[in-house]
Amino acid sequence: MMSRCLLLCLLLTGGAVRAAELPALWSERLKTVVAVEFYTETETERRPTIAYGTVIDHNGTIILPPVAVNPRMTPSQLKEFKVYRAGSATGVPGVYLGQDALTGWHYVRADATQRTELQPITDFAAHQQREPAMAEEVWGIGLRNKEEDFQPYLLVSRVALVQSLPQRTAIALQEVAGPGLPVFNRAGEFVGLAASSFGQSFVQFSRMDRSGTPVVLVNVEESSAFLLASDVLPYLGRVPTNFFGRPLAWLGAFGMQPVDPDVAKFLHLENQSAVVVSEVLEGSPAELAGMKARDILLAIDGAPLPRMKPDRVVVAYVEREVERRQPGATMALTVLRGDARLELKTVLGEEPRLMGEAERKYFDRIGLTIREFVYGDAVALRVRKSAASGVIAHFVKPNGPAGGAGLHTDDWIKEIDGVEVKTFAAAAQKLAEIEADLGRAEFVLLVSRGGETAVLRVKLR
Amino acid sequence: MLRTALLGLALVGSLPASMSRGFNQLLDAVVRIDVREVAFEDGAKRFSASIGSGVILSADGLILTNAHVASPRAVELSVTLSSLERVGARLVGWDHWTDLALLQLDVAEVKRRGLKFAHAEFGDSDKLFVGETVYAVGTPFGLTRTATRGIISNNNRYFEDSNGVNGYETGAFNTWLQTDAAINPGNSGGPLVTEDGRVIGISSRGYLGANNLGFAIPANTAKRVVEGLSRNGSITRSYIGIVPRALQDLENFYALALNTGLLVNSVDPGSPAARAGLRPGDILLAINGEKVDGRFPEQLPPIQNRIAGATVGSTLRLTIKRGPATGEYNVVTEKLESRVGEEWVLEKWGLSVRKVSRTFARENQLEDTTGVFVIGVQPGFPADVAGLSRGDVITKINQRPVATLATIQAVHTAYEKKPEPVLVEAQRNHQVSLYVLKP
Repeated sequence: MMSRCLLLCLLLTGGAVRAAELPALWSERLKTVVAVEFYTETETERRPTIAYGTVIDHNGTIILPPVAVNPRMTPSQLKEFKVYRAGSATGVPGVYLGQDALTGWHYVRADATQRTELQPITDFAAHQQREPAMAEEVWGIGLRNKEEDFQPYLLVSRVALVQSLPQRTAIALQEVAGPGLPVFNRAGEFVGLAASSFGQSFVQFSRMDRSGTPVVLVNVEESSAFLLASDVLPYLGRVPTNFFGRPLAWLGAFGMQPVDPDVAKFLHLENQSAVVVSEVLEGSPAELAGMKARDILLAIDGAPLPRMKPDRVVVAYVEREVERRQPGATMALTVLRGDARLELKTVLGEEPRLMGEAERKYFDRIGLTIREFVYGDAVALRVRKSAASGVIAHFVKPNGPAGGAGLHTDDWIKEIDGVEVKTFAAAAQKLAEIEADLGRAEFVLLVSRGGETAVLRVKLR
Repeated sequence: MLRTALLGLALVGSLPASMSRGFNQLLDAVVRIDVREVAFEDGAKRFSASIGSGVILSADGLILTNAHVASPRAVELSVTLSSLERVGARLVGWDHWTDLALLQLDVAEVKRRGLKFAHAEFGDSDKLFVGETVYAVGTPFGLTRTATRGIISNNNRYFEDSNGVNGYETGAFNTWLQTDAAINPGNSGGPLVTEDGRVIGISSRGYLGANNLGFAIPANTAKRVVEGLSRNGSITRSYIGIVPRALQDLENFYALALNTGLLVNSVDPGSPAARAGLRPGDILLAINGEKVDGRFPEQLPPIQNRIAGATVGSTLRLTIKRGPATGEYNVVTEKLESRVGEEWVLEKWGLSVRKVSRTFARENQLEDTTGVFVIGVQPGFPADVAGLSRGDVITKINQRPVATLATIQAVHTAYEKKPEPVLVEAQRNHQVSLYVLKP
């Protein structure tokens, strides 16, 4: 008993001696973290979202994690950005700059009035970067919710594992920072940026269910995983000049699936990975370079795809290899087709118009938002780009006239009132006419869903 | 003499069904059917037993029952006659579209054992009226020769189900009789009869959890199917690839006279109708000059049946209204196929597969009919260990396209003799992956 207490006391004192400088480090580094609040406006509602961000420069630029914004929303639906300092009840206005495609980060810029109170994380970068060692102590900041003025609190942990996913990522023993917030070592050097947390497996028992149900729990307020500084600092400068981070490099090799070690061995691929290309998109750089569906991609610019764990990480690796390049750049691909190894020279193109960039318009009386048909729709619907006409039902108001007629979100609207609608403009005009005609009792849509079509009768009264 | 006869007639008219000669003969024609069938679903052959009912139709021992009672998956069919004697039987043919199957009693065995049975007669199901008393006879929950009584609740019920008969399509080509005579599991395949013992329907299904909502295939549909099955062992139908829909009150929109036309709701890609230029939203006015009235759902099966009844490969002249214009379209029919292809189990791999059919390929937007669909894997067996799962479509094996079931069976046979790693290419939601089946 005695010896055990002694050991415990020793440990406590040992920690306390080194922790003496932490309060000083803490108060300095609090200026690098903020909470960002914004509203997402949809056809029928307005919802606040709060995300955590890290300051990256002296202009008040802040990065938010990729999951901060619902990918179905377009930037025009994101309103009233406000930036709150840790522990502050009042925020200052912010401007949404857009999303970087490679890192997925959303960029926000705080109002000039606040800039002096913010400090970029780069000020705390180590002079000599090194990966944190196993069991090294790391700490970070968590932020309480808005009701508690985003009060900061300390999280401390140790590095348990460092892995390539494909970015170098550390997993800590327990939660080490709010997602999107920085992680520091004991010297106060920036060592990484907390990512969204990992799902942890539990078994849930209850009075009703005594045998237990497996559940996966994700802590959305704190994270135990962080991207290492070496995979953060070089990319901070990628401040988008437009909402979608264009220019976006495009290859057009679609549905990449990793091969597992057994398959790699069967194909005589030693110490490397590979991906199967499910589809080569119409008119894409990959198609122009002669790539075929089911080609097995082995190497990029002569470098074999690395073996990564889990297997699927190699897909993200290939995608990042494309995204880090610019349209017009060349990329040499080695593929296996049957028994033949082929070298394909591709010149990356510019990503076709994205769903987020598509035009859209809401018709309140019909209860329907239509969206322009874009390249991605042709891919998802498995039709030729040349067959692409009509519009997509982007939002169908529950129990509204269109919803009552059986229209679903993502249905492909091909005809309105028996007339083929070739373009977004034609469809929008047609619906506007119908909506403006208050005497109209009904109209008819021809829609396609899962390769089948249906005639829907929309009753307006 | 004359008086007796008259009395006799009068007596027959007022006698309860159980005492009429026809009804008694019917009771002697109803059989219990014990089925042992094989299923391939879980990556292994599994046998299961079930009980159904049937009715003997002829002196030479043809028995009519449901397709969901006796299908080609049956490995053993055993018939219990009204004398309680058991006799073997074999499947003559089945037709899941109408949920009917035809069995043949083992005549040699019947003769050898000197067994006797009666056979039933069909009535005219077109003459049934709502409210008419009917009896269901069968083996509900294994209770042999149970008769229940009810009325015809509806004589023209529309009831289409894309996977109603053990996963097979049913109900597109006929309407159903609805009755409140109690129909329970095990009644399936038994006759629905009038008071004089005439078979006017084959009890087929009921709503689970509902009270007394039973459905039977009308005798007039059954007669045609029995004829076809006894002659050819199967029913061949024509397919053109239109999905019809009742016009209901869309007549105004399409500027049609009342009770005219059928709405083409969808045209299957690549089908004869698509090739002929038909489009969704077209109105079918006439087939070979004969007018079509598809205003209500009940009217769709007879129209579908008209198309299905055309000789495979023959040309149908369809009169189509599109917008203000009316035109003629010649469509060459194809043979109708089920979505459900042939099934097999590759036991050493613990892998159950089903051949990709034309309909399956179309519904799942596959390029063609190459491949087999995985319907089950057995945990711990090579297919499961490699990562294959239900829903995958295996397109290549050892780099060879799986054009037929035989392709993959051959590789499996070779593996049985000499187990060596096998490379499998499969797609899941159109994403192509490779797998290795290892001994």
